Parts: sequence; C-alpha cells; structure tokens
Amino acid sequence: MEEKKAQILEKLQKVFPEISETKNDFPYNRVDLRIEKNKIPAILFYLKDEMGYKHLVHITCVDWLEEGKFEVIFIVWSPVDKIKVFVKTFLDRNNPVMDNVDMIWRQANTYERELREMFGIQFEGLVAPKEFILEDWDDMPPMRRDFDTEAYARKRFFARPGREDARDVRQTIAERTGEEIPDFAKKYSR
Amino acid sequence: MINDKNSQKIVDIIQNFARKHSLFVLAYGTGCGAIEIPPTMTSRYDAERFGIRGAATPRQADVLLITGYLTTKTVKRVIRVYEQMQDPKYVIGFGSCTINGGMYWDSYNTIKVLDRYLPVDIYINGCMPRPEAVIEGFIKLQKKIMEGRAEGAKHYKENLEWYRANQKKVLGPTTPHIQEYNW
Ligand code: SF4
Repeated sequence: MEEKKAQILEKLQKVFPEISETKNDFPYNRVDLRIEKNKIPAILFYLKDEMGYKHLVHITCVDWLEEGKFEVIFIVWSPVDKIKVFVKTFLDRNNPVMDNVDMIWRQANTYERELREMFGIQFEGLVAPKEFILEDWDDMPPMRRDFDTEAYARKRFFARPGREDARDVRQTIAERTGEEIPDFAKKYSR
Repeated sequence: MINDKNSQKIVDIIQNFARKHSLFVLAYGTGCGAIEIPPTMTSRYDAERFGIRGAATPRQADVLLITGYLTTKTVKRVIRVYEQMQDPKYVIGFGSCTINGGMYWDSYNTIKVLDRYLPVDIYINGCMPRPEAVIEGFIKLQKKIMEGRAEGAKHYKENLEWYRANQKKVLGPTTPHIQEYNW
C-alpha cells in the first residue's frame, strides 16, 4: 500500500507539480493532497480518466473560521487501487467561489447544491433550483460556524416556558432528600 | 335530528363508544419516533386489540400521530394533512420533540411547541416512547373520547385565527402551502 500511495503521488506530481501532500491518520488507504482552487476540475478529470478514480464518494466543506477560509474536500475512490484520494482546496471565506464540477460526475450537482445552501459556496455555472432542503431561508447559511443556531431558534420559534429555569435533577433530589451532591458529580452540574 | 337533551346524551355516549373503538391512525411518519409504530401495530404489542389501526389516506384517518420533531418544511405539510382529515379527528404529539423541542431545542429548522400550530389532544413523552407508552397514550385518548373531552378539532375551528397567526409567524407570510380552509 505504501508504494501504491507513493506511486499515485508521483504520477500526479508529474502532471500537477504544485500539489502538496498533507498528513492523515490512515496510513493504508488514504492519500490527502492540496491544490489551488482553479486546478480542481483538471485534477479531478485526470484522476477519473487517467488513473481510474471513478467513484466520487463525497464533496464536503470545513469552515476554518479563525483563518477566514473554507476548505472544500473532494473524496474519490478507485475500485482497482482501493485507495481514497482526498483533494482539498482553500477558498476565501468572504468570497467563496469555485468551479462547478458536475460535468465530471453528475451526482456532484447534489453535493454542490448542498454546499451552496449550507455554507454559501458559489459554484460558477451550477444549474440547479435555488432551494435544496431549506424553504424560505432568509439568514446566513446555517452550517457556517458563526451562525448562532440557538439565538436563531429563540428568535424564530415558540418555546415552552419553563425551559430556562430547568434545573439539574441532582440538585432537586439533593434538596429533597437533604443529601450532598458528591464531588465527582459536581463538575457535571449546571 | 334529536332535539331532546337527554336523548342527545344517549346518542353521544353511543357515538363516543363507537369512535373510541375504531381509531384509524394515519401512517405519516415524521422524525425518529415513527420507528416505534411498526412494533406497536404488529404482533408483539398488537395495538389492534384496542381498535387502533393504520389508515392509508388522511380522509380515512381519525388520528394524526406526530411522531417526533417537525421541520418547518414538514409542518406545512402536516397542517395540510390535518385539514384534509374529516371529523372526528385527534392529534397525538409523540416524543419530547413535540412537547418542548427535545434534543432539537436549539435547532434552526425544527418547531418546538406543537400545540401552537395544531390542537394536540394527548402528548406522549419520552425520547422515544416505547410501544407500551404509546398504547398507554392511546388508552388515555380513548378515555378522553369516551368522556367527550377530546375536542381538539372543535378548538381548532373556534380559534382558527390564533392558529393561523402562529403558523404564519413561523412559516412565513408567503408560505404557499397553506390555503384557507373552509369547513
Ligand atoms: S423525541 Fe427523541 S426519538 Fe422522538 S423525534 Fe425527538 S429526538 Fe427523535
């Protein structure tokens, strides 16, 4: 497996000299690499057509709030090599625009719609209905880390009164029976 | 039509007795609690011995069982389904998500207090309630029906403006899925 991974990297590096490998905790069946965002369609095409990475496992996104970046991750898998390749790229958090890849895998369209709705990432040339899961959404995309879901829920929905002064069960029992809360349990108390 | 008050009472008793023993439950699963319905209905717990059965369409159903959290998108459909049902109709809120939000209390997309949107006759608590609890809830509902206190539908009819205002506040004024309903 080690040689296979090295071969994959070598082969890719010949065509795309600018890729950098990143570390991961799965030594046997996973290769992680990072590349600029404008090379993404090219490298995915190359992986699919030349190297047999036919299967698109997932497209996902990580919100690096502190660094002001989104990291979009494409996971592809080869039924021959049995190795997953994670192709990662950074986008600017204030202007998350990248190329659409649904001409490579048709099913990428669904993942891209999801990322557009949940993180606000714009895929140039994506043809899809405006809404995916949410209906009449009028706030920040909800999966961004600076979206405060609790505040939003409090503002938008009715809450049953009594929730706020809900107490720790242990406290109630301790008062009723006159027992002490043991020290080990205290750190879980509110 | 019977005008005499005492005869009406007897008719009511017979009517309630009949209603109580044929509760057709609409098979509309929302949230995770719907997974407890198959064991409740099938041979292990066999809810049919209490007269509780499944119904295929809203117009044939008596009970709308809300089995868990409702997203804002689902609640629009549920309201439509409820309004399509014919009298007598009852709503059972099932699981803590319908009572106060449960573990989804801070979710951006699920409603929390079901009785603001639909008239709930019985709540069954638990996350999720076991089939015993479900049957217990149904028996409570039957008791309520027998006593003539299960009047959610009537309450909904009388306080339609209040319910509509609540629904519109949360689901948006432009929501196209709720049409004005005329009994
Ligand atoms: S009450 Fe629990 S089991 Fe029921 S829908 Fe909510 S989270 Fe799921």
